[in-house]
Amino acid sequence: MKRIMQGSLLLLLSFALILSACGGSNNKDNNGAASGNSENSAESGKPSAAEDDGPVEELIVAFPIISPDLTGLQLVEQEMNKITEPKIKVRVKFMPINAGEWLQRTNLIFSSNEKLDLTYVHGSMYSNMVAKGMLSPLDELIGEYGNGITASLEPKYLNATKIGGKIYSVPSVRDLAGSYGYTIRKDLVDKHNIDLSAIKTLDDVANVLQLLKEKEPDMVPISTGGTQSFRDVYKFYDELGDNMGVLPHYDNGLKVVNLFETQEYADFVKRIREWYKAGYILSDAATNKLSLVELMSSGKVASYIGMQKPGFDVQETKSNGVEVVSAELNPPYSTTSNITVAMWGIPVHAKYPEKAMKFLNLMYEDENIVNLFTWGVEGTHYEKVQDHIIKYPEGKDANSVGFNSLQWMFGNQFKAYVLESNDPEIWSKMKDFNESATPSKALGFIFDGSNVKTEYAAVSNVINEYKLSLETGSVDPDKILPQFIDKLQAAGIDKIVAEKQKQLDEWAAANGVK
Amino acid sequence: MNTEVKRRRINLRRYIPLYIMTLPGLAYLLINNYLPMFGLSIAFKDINYAKGIWGSDWVGFKNFSYLFATSDAYIITRNTILYNAVFIVLGLGFAIMIAILLNEIRSRFSQRFYQSVIILPHMISIILVSYLVYALLGPATGFVNKTILPMLGVEPISWYLESKYWPYILTIVHIWKGAGYSCIVFLAAIIGIDREYYEAAGLDGASKWQQIRKITLPMISPIITMLTLLAIGRIFYSDFGLFYQIPMNSGAIYDTTNVIDTYVFRGLMQLGDIGMSAAAGFYQSVVGFVLVLVSNYIVRKIDRDNALF
Repeated sequence: MKRIMQGSLLLLLSFALILSACGGSNNKDNNGAASGNSENSAESGKPSAAEDDGPVEELIVAFPIISPDLTGLQLVEQEMNKITEPKIKVRVKFMPINAGEWLQRTNLIFSSNEKLDLTYVHGSMYSNMVAKGMLSPLDELIGEYGNGITASLEPKYLNATKIGGKIYSVPSVRDLAGSYGYTIRKDLVDKHNIDLSAIKTLDDVANVLQLLKEKEPDMVPISTGGTQSFRDVYKFYDELGDNMGVLPHYDNGLKVVNLFETQEYADFVKRIREWYKAGYILSDAATNKLSLVELMSSGKVASYIGMQKPGFDVQETKSNGVEVVSAELNPPYSTTSNITVAMWGIPVHAKYPEKAMKFLNLMYEDENIVNLFTWGVEGTHYEKVQDHIIKYPEGKDANSVGFNSLQWMFGNQFKAYVLESNDPEIWSKMKDFNESATPSKALGFIFDGSNVKTEYAAVSNVINEYKLSLETGSVDPDKILPQFIDKLQAAGIDKIVAEKQKQLDEWAAANGVK
Repeated sequence: MNTEVKRRRINLRRYIPLYIMTLPGLAYLLINNYLPMFGLSIAFKDINYAKGIWGSDWVGFKNFSYLFATSDAYIITRNTILYNAVFIVLGLGFAIMIAILLNEIRSRFSQRFYQSVIILPHMISIILVSYLVYALLGPATGFVNKTILPMLGVEPISWYLESKYWPYILTIVHIWKGAGYSCIVFLAAIIGIDREYYEAAGLDGASKWQQIRKITLPMISPIITMLTLLAIGRIFYSDFGLFYQIPMNSGAIYDTTNVIDTYVFRGLMQLGDIGMSAAAGFYQSVVGFVLVLVSNYIVRKIDRDNALF
């Protein structure tokens, strides 16, 4: 009996050893965190002219980036902390995520409870994130710490983010409407005498593509970015958040329809198919993983279609590294999606929600913070020409300067400096653009899909299966579109459309929209 | 009675070193395979991040309904099982064939050389393999569309958009990548066979083919059965890299490339719903478990000694 006891004791002991070895690494982590904290308190011991008491806390801020070079970002982080540490007792730590991986990475961050205090929120994920309780309601925090936010965002924009009467994310101040247009390399326009003002419809675009195909055999006339379809970049309807059940012509008497069964959609994919067959589109468009910036900067692609705004050409020239010019294809409309496309929210597991709101407020209030996010560090990444006008340092451009951010997402862009080559009046023009845009009849409506979750998941799977191949013209719509529609029906898209109609009617009744 | 207890004690003492040796393995199993089983409860919950995993509401089988709302469940189950069945049969066949052929090479240097060349694909990352395949099958610049098909006078084929070709492509890639590696075990078994059998057979005038059929194959048949059984036990787990990377995640060919692992991955990454992905994972476990039981039952009926349990 004694032997058995001894044996089992040994067994237990070894287990304990192994487990403690596993636990050991945890301890180390804790120690690391603890020493980090002590560092914090040591710094906060320094005298500072702060209105805010308490230790400096580390605030983790996640946002997408397009440039893989992170050295500029680190510099910006240091400079920003010089402002935020005394002002709001916050040391910011960036969590930059490659734009292409944004969706996947944020899902992982939330399901693994990774530390995060403030995050960029993309409109297509917004209602889903709220339904799953990923984001904290912000109304009270905005009321308490968000003066700068309410001062720079009109209530109609802030209200467009409300779900169940609560604000869960704050949109950045930028173009809050969108027109669609055709963008092409400027050198090709000059070389072939293309009259941009004559390009008004997709038919006109087709003529240009034909010319490009003939005269520039080494280039692909038109493309979308990797994993995007042509409908992603040219919408002719209010998508009502997710493209399942849409409002054609931004009105349709508030009657929701299944986009994929409309004549407009059928015509659209047919046109794209013709372009594909004529060789205007990348032949591997359905599997292409290269972004538009990569395709344009390498000179492989000549033009593209996309949502536009004042100053679009300068922005695109900057990110592509090739000079481009644009023509407008349809006038600006303002939909809920235009407003919610780039927002900031506070995760429900955030450690310092108040500090996060204080920092978010600075992004709308403090010119220096906005410009650090937008242009980088003065003297290193840009030089001032006049008060609000800047230029790149001698011999540098957007690609070589070492800092290139997705500017439109950072707080109040109307406080950002303007590049020398851009229109100095850009922000007042942007304001006019926002105000002149025709509002969609459903502006302010956000769909909550939690009642039709099963159908939503099934329909998403079907759309993922067909979307890229159909909407890049890679397959024959005569054959594939009916299949697609059948599968959507089987997955229950009608139920989603009906639910959306119901919610839209309720919303219209509550907000007096007729 | 007393002697019985005594004998047991002696046995236990004798086996203690063996027990201790199994400890690391046990700990690994416990931490890696049993601890995460609590996560199965996620499949029955409506996960709300504000409430946390334990606080979220129970929803019964609601998370499973999307799997069966469309033909998805059928397609991924069919694909997973059929692909793996083909992989087991052809994979074993090719591995045995390569092992026998390698064994017949007399020059030591060439034997080593061929063995290395055949194993090499196993060492290549699946991402690189996917681009190698793309270099062959790419729509505009691929070697097949640009060189081979025009030579035969055939129109270029959009490989990444036509689902009917993929069962063949994936099988070829799988065998090319895996056969060299799995032949090692068979090669070891064949080398272990006593040479005297072959000498005796040679004296009796048996041909090479007869020697393979009557000596080599019967001698390695226990190993063949064991490896086949092990493979059947994993028949509901597919090679994720193969099914996700090689088809370049092209939607048009999901019909023949979507297996349960890729489905779960896409569900989690694109819908971001861990409840639903957990449900799909749960479904995989249950069907996999049933398949192992059934195949083991069949094996036990045929040959009791070779059954796993």
